Amino acid sequence: MRSLDQRLCAAHAKNDISTLVALYCEAATAAETTTQKGFYLTHAYVYALEAAHPDALRLHAQLCSLGKEL
Amino acid sequence: MSDLPTDSTIHAATDALTAVRQPVGTARGLPNAHYTCPTLFEDEATALLKTTWAGLAVASDVPAPGDAKPITFLGMPLLLLRDKSGVVRVFNNVCRHRGMILVAEPRRIEGAIRCPYHSWCYATDGRLVTTPHVGGPGINTAPDIDRATLGLIEVRSHIWRDIVFINISGTAPDFEQVHAPLIARWSALDQPQHHGGPDSHFTLDVASNWKLAVENYCESYHLPWVHPGLNSYSRLEDHYNIVAPQQFSGQATHVYRQLTDAAGHRFADYANLPAFWDQGAEYIALYPNVLLGAQRDHSFAILLEPLSHNQTREHVHLYYATADTDADLRAANSAQWKQVFEEDIFVVEGMQRGRAALGFDGGRFSAAMDAPTHCFHDWVATRMQAARAP
Repeated sequence: MRSLDQRLCAAHAKNDISTLVALYCEAATAAETTTQKGFYLTHAYVYALEAAHPDALRLHAQLCSLGKEL
Repeated sequence: MSDLPTDSTIHAATDALTAVRQPVGTARGLPNAHYTCPTLFEDEATALLKTTWAGLAVASDVPAPGDAKPITFLGMPLLLLRDKSGVVRVFNNVCRHRGMILVAEPRRIEGAIRCPYHSWCYATDGRLVTTPHVGGPGINTAPDIDRATLGLIEVRSHIWRDIVFINISGTAPDFEQVHAPLIARWSALDQPQHHGGPDSHFTLDVASNWKLAVENYCESYHLPWVHPGLNSYSRLEDHYNIVAPQQFSGQATHVYRQLTDAAGHRFADYANLPAFWDQGAEYIALYPNVLLGAQRDHSFAILLEPLSHNQTREHVHLYYATADTDADLRAANSAQWKQVFEEDIFVVEGMQRGRAALGFDGGRFSAAMDAPTHCFHDWVATRMQAARAP
């Protein structure tokens, strides 16, 4: 099974936004620190915003609850 | 040859513009430098295009919510954008962070505009909605970054007859105040203009200063020689001048002939038009850079894009009274107008080349036939003198 990094790179290469959102959420879930979690959630949120992805609002709420967003 | 003292140069330029601002029969045309000098091109860009209402695009260029089209106008990166509620605006196509170009190609914005550099995101109404990592990794806020003040910089715009006019300086009076006379003149034509679609839009590149395209368009004097196809049904004596000093000028005909197909079908008319429009048509140059044509069954707009002092791109758009028109008839109409406008290219480019003639004094005007052209020269000279006034 490919590593998360490999799967992210593949999704970036194809500009597969839905997959990028899912993979960055996966990375956030696996994050060991709040900083890392905020970093990966931000990426998921930005790509979700750009694509009008249904998870955009939820991701925004998560970042706000962590004190990372307005 | 020694350089002229600055004062002499200024006086010569002022005298030349004063010579333009004489009665049409005795006036000179604008001096050569107004067509050949890159520096003067920039001065005119400020005096004639950035401080007035210039035609930039048509709203039909962004037909659906989320549609975004980057446009470079006078070197400025602009973004024509229809937001999610359908409102069309013009913004600087520039991220407020480090000045990166936001949108490189026309596309549909599905959610937000994401800057490709640091992913600052903007809503389609220009609001800045997120600033990723601006406060550090995973921290999307910072005390000195006030999103409410960092939205896309909007360029003042106004839409009339589907044409998106912009006032770069932000200082011009309202569009409806500036152009009240033509709005009133064409009040009967104040009806939905249905863009004919992809087959009703074309561009022409012309090796000339944009002003020459205006000067040629607004007079009928050249029609018998440059557009001989008109002679059989729209003779020179069937045309008359339209002159609105400091506003617009053009020409009109009493004998507009509708296009028909083999079965006699024609385009639907605009509704409730006065009797004039049964056989009348008007062709008006709305200063600075929009050339308009109005007939009973269709209209067009030519937006002149000044690329340099000697290069212009003409964007031609055709409109109809109804959304549903016959495709073959539309194609024939587009082809007909394209032929007419292509016929003008050699005279406009020829005048541009002629402006390299040392000693050409700007030319003269026929009082009977060139009043619309002189009206435009007078507008240019007036604005240039005002711009140079201390």
